[in-house]
Amino acid sequence: MNVGDKLSAPKDQILKALDRLRKNWKIIGPTEGPDGEVIFREVTSSDEITFNYVNELDPIKRFLAPPTEELFKFRTDGQLKLELPEAPPRQILFGIRSCDVKGIQHWDKFYSGKFVDDAYFARRNNTVLISLACNEPLETCFCICTDTGPYLKEGDGYDVQLTDLGERFLVEIGTDRGLQVLEEAGFKAEAASAQELAKRDELMQQCDTKFETTAFMAKGIVQMTNGRVRDGLWEEMGHECFSCGACTHLCPMCTCFDVQDVMESEGCGHRERCWDSCQYAGYTREASGHNPRASASSRIQRRFYHKLSFAYIKQDGHHGCVGCGRCIIACEAIGLLDLPAVLKRLRREGQPVEVTQVPTE
Amino acid sequence: MSGSNGNGHLYVPQLAAIVKITDETYDTKTFTLRFVDDDYRKNFTFKSGQFIELSVFGAGEAPFGFASSPNRREDFDVTIRAVGHVTNALHAKREGDLVGVRGPLGNHFPFEEVMGYDILFVGGGIGLPPLRSLIEPMLEAREKFGRIIILYGARTPADRVYKPWLAELEKRQDIEFMQTVDVGDDSWTGNVGVVTTLFKKISVDPSKTVAFTCGPPIMIKFVIQDLLQMGFDGDHIISTLERYMKCGVGKCGHCAIGHKYVCTDGPVFSFTQMRALREQW
Repeated sequence: MNVGDKLSAPKDQILKALDRLRKNWKIIGPTEGPDGEVIFREVTSSDEITFNYVNELDPIKRFLAPPTEELFKFRTDGQLKLELPEAPPRQILFGIRSCDVKGIQHWDKFYSGKFVDDAYFARRNNTVLISLACNEPLETCFCICTDTGPYLKEGDGYDVQLTDLGERFLVEIGTDRGLQVLEEAGFKAEAASAQELAKRDELMQQCDTKFETTAFMAKGIVQMTNGRVRDGLWEEMGHECFSCGACTHLCPMCTCFDVQDVMESEGCGHRERCWDSCQYAGYTREASGHNPRASASSRIQRRFYHKLSFAYIKQDGHHGCVGCGRCIIACEAIGLLDLPAVLKRLRREGQPVEVTQVPTE
Repeated sequence: MSGSNGNGHLYVPQLAAIVKITDETYDTKTFTLRFVDDDYRKNFTFKSGQFIELSVFGAGEAPFGFASSPNRREDFDVTIRAVGHVTNALHAKREGDLVGVRGPLGNHFPFEEVMGYDILFVGGGIGLPPLRSLIEPMLEAREKFGRIIILYGARTPADRVYKPWLAELEKRQDIEFMQTVDVGDDSWTGNVGVVTTLFKKISVDPSKTVAFTCGPPIMIKFVIQDLLQMGFDGDHIISTLERYMKCGVGKCGHCAIGHKYVCTDGPVFSFTQMRALREQW
């Protein structure tokens, strides 16, 4: 087997491989929840895995950056000492979707660079991504508009990409890490036949036709970049928004966190970080009480500036959305403030868009 | 190598002892900090304008600008007003207590780049500390710069920081130094008025001068307005921006202004850069 191989195997071969890996890896896979919804959680046997799902509302990023994460412990009684937490266990994220893989790829880039986030990579370097391409979107999905699915191409961040061909999986090996884990599992498979590859293409094209939600990114990007959105529109949105932060918490591309010290007992405590939201009223509040984004309208403007402006696209290499549609499902201001809805409102503003200067630095 | 502090983990601070606490005003103190690890201390350097993330374990962590000359290697100063949770916990500390330090973080003031120019400093209140980290090394290399003009304003005489140092500056023959207060007191015989009222007392050639200004945002706005009117180019006006900060290394998102992060792209910005930000700075 080699990186870049396209193989095929009966579905139970993959599941048996997972069971063999469970000795040394935590397996996180899709299971059926009490109301028939899908919940990704640790499984003790591949029997618990369901394939009857599209995606979970709760974001997969929680397995790489837990909502609350201890950074280090400190003891203040006696000699001051700082202690790092134990290394996180090795884990396989199985059956995750293309949009979430692209989200993780963004996290990998954003959390490296000039400063490398050691806490994130301690977990990330112990994680393998075995994704499952989508043959059917939810009505809220729009990953074709953001070029983040439903199928991923080489280099899109998966370690192994599976495609459900019916009785068999197509298995595409994306990285050395993916290859190693398949070898460790004693996984054996044949090269995919020409028919199987054709079937994959057919499934991919069929899936493309099933999308119901669209998001025309381009015009929104130009408008946000050039500041061609009237203040009144942000004001209207500010009145609609609950500042609940659901959009940011569920978004695979949102990375903000807050840091707090927590005392556990006399002389012993820890520093932790937790998910935070630029939509919260206190996100930019300073100790003096001054708050540069005191209004909900300024916070919403911030969110979409970060997601859409060319200045950020230039820095990150891509815009800030993977088309997973979670914000559509979650937004309290139903149908008004999710990304496709906001793009539509921006487009319909109807102001002639003149491409002026783009900040060059 | 990752880590903002050289010990391999981005978020774990180095330990430093508070070797001296100096009362500056009723709510502001200067803390002189010295790293506990000798090797770390010997190798630690910073540039004027940078900052540290200071930890009071149990209370939290907050950013503070270096307030002393980078040439002073044994220890360094930070000057801190007690405003919130972390700063009040810090003000309760005593000499000898240990704190955590991550840094140096952020970008820095130009130094070599402005040699040969006349330098105009305009500081307000607690904006003086980061300027002091630049004034001191400039005075230590005095011959490399043209005129050095320092204008400092505070609300009242008691609100001025570094009073002994200000007295030393008054005595120097090789700089032009003026102070002012918004409201005088019985013993104040100096200027009264906001710091911009001192502009009419100086005469500078904007094409040969670089202006550095730090202070409350409202002061910065008026100072920059006046500097522009005097003919200063946006590239010759250097200031610092502030936002609530958490990680200090461009990951947590809090300090973003437009597409820039104050902690990594700043805190030092020229007015030209500030003007390009697509958000109120």
